[in-house]
Amino acid sequence: MDFDPSANRVVGTARIPGAPAPKKAPVPVKIIVAGGFGVGKTTTVGAISEISPLTTEAEMTSESVGIDDPGQATMKTGTTVAMDFGVLTIDQTLKLYIFGTPGQTRFAFMWDDLVRGALGALVVVDTNRIDDCYPAVDYFERQGLPFVVGINTFNGQMSYSIDEVRWALAVREDVPVISFDARFRASVRDALLVVLDQALDKAIRMKS
Amino acid sequence: MIPPDSDDPVPPARPGVRPFLQSGSQHSTGGYTPTGEHPPVEASTNTLRPFVITSGRTDGGDPDIGMETQVTLVPGAPASRLSPETRAIVALCEESPISVAEISARLHLHLGVTRILVGDLRATGQLDVHVLDNDTPDPETIMRVIRGLRSIS
Repeated sequence: MDFDPSANRVVGTARIPGAPAPKKAPVPVKIIVAGGFGVGKTTTVGAISEISPLTTEAEMTSESVGIDDPGQATMKTGTTVAMDFGVLTIDQTLKLYIFGTPGQTRFAFMWDDLVRGALGALVVVDTNRIDDCYPAVDYFERQGLPFVVGINTFNGQMSYSIDEVRWALAVREDVPVISFDARFRASVRDALLVVLDQALDKAIRMKS
Repeated sequence: MIPPDSDDPVPPARPGVRPFLQSGSQHSTGGYTPTGEHPPVEASTNTLRPFVITSGRTDGGDPDIGMETQVTLVPGAPASRLSPETRAIVALCEESPISVAEISARLHLHLGVTRILVGDLRATGQLDVHVLDNDTPDPETIMRVIRGLRSIS
């Protein structure tokens, strides 16, 4: 066969000759805000976002890939979850998206779409319910995604000290454990800057 | 008073109809209440199985189309017959670049559905989908985000 038109698939968009050039779009980057239910993820997103947080419904594929039950490797269930996100325009060509990931169950985090291309993650912790963040910590450790543990101090109070939380989570030495207040923009900004520092370290390591 | 026979089936609180069908029949029997306590409009759209809009396709989404992927209108794209949902997507993209997640949120469309429809609109030449060549963030971009964040107060 000399020419198979189907083999020459147009991947982009069909263009009309003489049509104006395609519109420019900003480069999107994203940071994940994770943690258990009610720890202040949406508050965190809302504090830094320039729009009120939006909610999207998405399918989460929970796949048991031999973590708890190696015998049933193909068990797959889908759950629809609501996810909040916000946007911060850095400049005309760069936009930061902040996605709040739902769920605290182990498999709810098997969502590779969400983390793909993410700069890093902020794991929000409520010291009254530290266990709620374990799945997120597990997941980001496994994915090798840079992350920071952020203790949400709500009313400026913490039931445990940063060192105690670090001990409970048993995260690596180089994972920062910080405290912040999800209600205040400057506080969330500083927490995200710590995430970005981690992301930068990793990006530089990857490049060299 | 005779105690209920344990062999008798316990009458269900609600008829044993699948929830989806139940809500449908409620609508058809004319659930009009003059008190003005109508269910919100969204309540009815939520009962529609999301993938009806995509003709049942659930996995046709391009894996390159992420939630933050930017979408723009193709200038001077040929007019083609669009469904209400795809027409709404095209209308949203008219003003400025928009992410797939924002389209999903603003139109109350399931994210997976949005991805499939956006992929369809790209295939028919209505939309440009700006897929990044490289999804590992580079240090220069991260530095720009850091500088941008530091400048906000």
